[in-house]
Amino acid sequence: MQRAVLGGVLLGILGGILGSFLILRRLSLFGDTVGHSAMLGVVLAALLELPATWTLIGFTVAFGLGVIYLIDRTDLGSDTVLCVSLSGSIALGTIGFSYLKGYRGNLLSILFGDILAISNTDLILLLLLLAVTLVWLIISLPEQILLTLNSDLALVKGIPVRGHRYFFIVLLAITIALTIRAVGILLVNGFLVIPAASARLICQQFVPFLATAAGMGALSGVMGMIVSGAIDLPSGPSIVLVQLFGFLAVVLWCRQS
Amino acid sequence: MHQNLSVTQPIVTVRNLSVMRGEYLAVDNVSFELLPGTHTAIIGPNGAGKSTLIKSILGLLEARAGEISLFNCTGKQSKRFKQEIGYIPQKFSFERTFPLTVSELVGLGLNSKQWWYSSKQKREKIYQALEQVHLTKQAQQKIGTLSGGELKRVLLAYCLVVPRRLLVLDEALAGVDATGEMEFAALLHNLKQEQNWTILEVSHDLDLVSKYCDSVICMNRRLLNQGLPSTTLTPENLLHIYGSLVSPTCHHHEPSQLPESF
Repeated sequence: MQRAVLGGVLLGILGGILGSFLILRRLSLFGDTVGHSAMLGVVLAALLELPATWTLIGFTVAFGLGVIYLIDRTDLGSDTVLCVSLSGSIALGTIGFSYLKGYRGNLLSILFGDILAISNTDLILLLLLLAVTLVWLIISLPEQILLTLNSDLALVKGIPVRGHRYFFIVLLAITIALTIRAVGILLVNGFLVIPAASARLICQQFVPFLATAAGMGALSGVMGMIVSGAIDLPSGPSIVLVQLFGFLAVVLWCRQS
Repeated sequence: MHQNLSVTQPIVTVRNLSVMRGEYLAVDNVSFELLPGTHTAIIGPNGAGKSTLIKSILGLLEARAGEISLFNCTGKQSKRFKQEIGYIPQKFSFERTFPLTVSELVGLGLNSKQWWYSSKQKREKIYQALEQVHLTKQAQQKIGTLSGGELKRVLLAYCLVVPRRLLVLDEALAGVDATGEMEFAALLHNLKQEQNWTILEVSHDLDLVSKYCDSVICMNRRLLNQGLPSTTLTPENLLHIYGSLVSPTCHHHEPSQLPESF
């Protein structure tokens, strides 16, 4: 239980920080696309008998970079490329599942995850990922804000926009891979988008926006676990529901004020 | 970091530059030079390749042929001078709820080390830049609440927050009201006169071009004309460029006669 709460908090902080950039860069659908592609990653791990966590991380990183490469190299809008990639990966993943004998029982755990099954290795990976993310932010926060706001201004200033974008995608893909184990493919995007969307409604400045999104993510992790334990609900969906209620409360508060 | 260039050494040299936009040759074999401390306007009809030309100079678009030299350096060597270039784009779109205040945006113009300055030092630099564009009252306002004209002035403050040697503006005055337009132009003039900034701007305002610019580049994919406003902005030339009669108001007074507030 303690591992699960700590896992929820770490995932909430990571989701809040990275999700903030995700929604401002208009890539909200990206989390969904990479999350759903993870089904194909899980199938590959099972078919090739590879370790699930590492295969999932490797697959989501490769898939995420591939999608961003396609967005950069085609004149299509990012939503179009994301939809094409999403459909393709689900089709391949579903076909892959049909080849797995005696493994289909795990489908539910991939779809909905199990935060109580978070291992010590997962926690260490999450801590490492959070440390790397924070260092990345401290080193390059003004550059990240500028390239999020306007990539031309960033390029003129000499900021390596493409390098920063690709590194962000790597961090995001690893976060998605680890979040899937806790809340599943279907709810992974909630961790990224909902706390950041709530923070965006109430914050005027950038650093408070990041801190609020991370704080809301962490708080909903703890609250969700409490709700889940108190009234015996599945933990992942409980966390996302707490995030949703938080978002609705913010919307109401904003309308009133 | 500062490479001293002699007064006559060009800040920007463009030689036989051609740039494609997709299948379309947007800039065709254009050559010119910008000397330090000069204000040059690029004029021409819509679709003439003006924005393409400056984006190529700034390294935002790749050239198909030709050479661009910035601060006497070409290619990757010129990248080390990026911090000395200010740029105001033609379009600056972002979501209205973007959580960024005016002073935060201006602060992004500082280099990375300066960004982590103690807040007082940083605030002073930002305040001074905002003061120059008369927007100190809006410092804590969210950028999404600004009008188009105010946003252009904030972007100018973003460029002013550190000393630059080259300022590139792509229709920076579009959306700015008449008073703001004059103030903006006068401020650019001061930067040129007092701080020796080199200014390159795309403009459709021939009145202001004739009043404030030292040199005019007329183009329609190709270079049509280049020279002093008095020799390039003639009715014959403008008829040739725009295909109809256009004439700027003549400004006989000296550019140094600025509004009192400046």
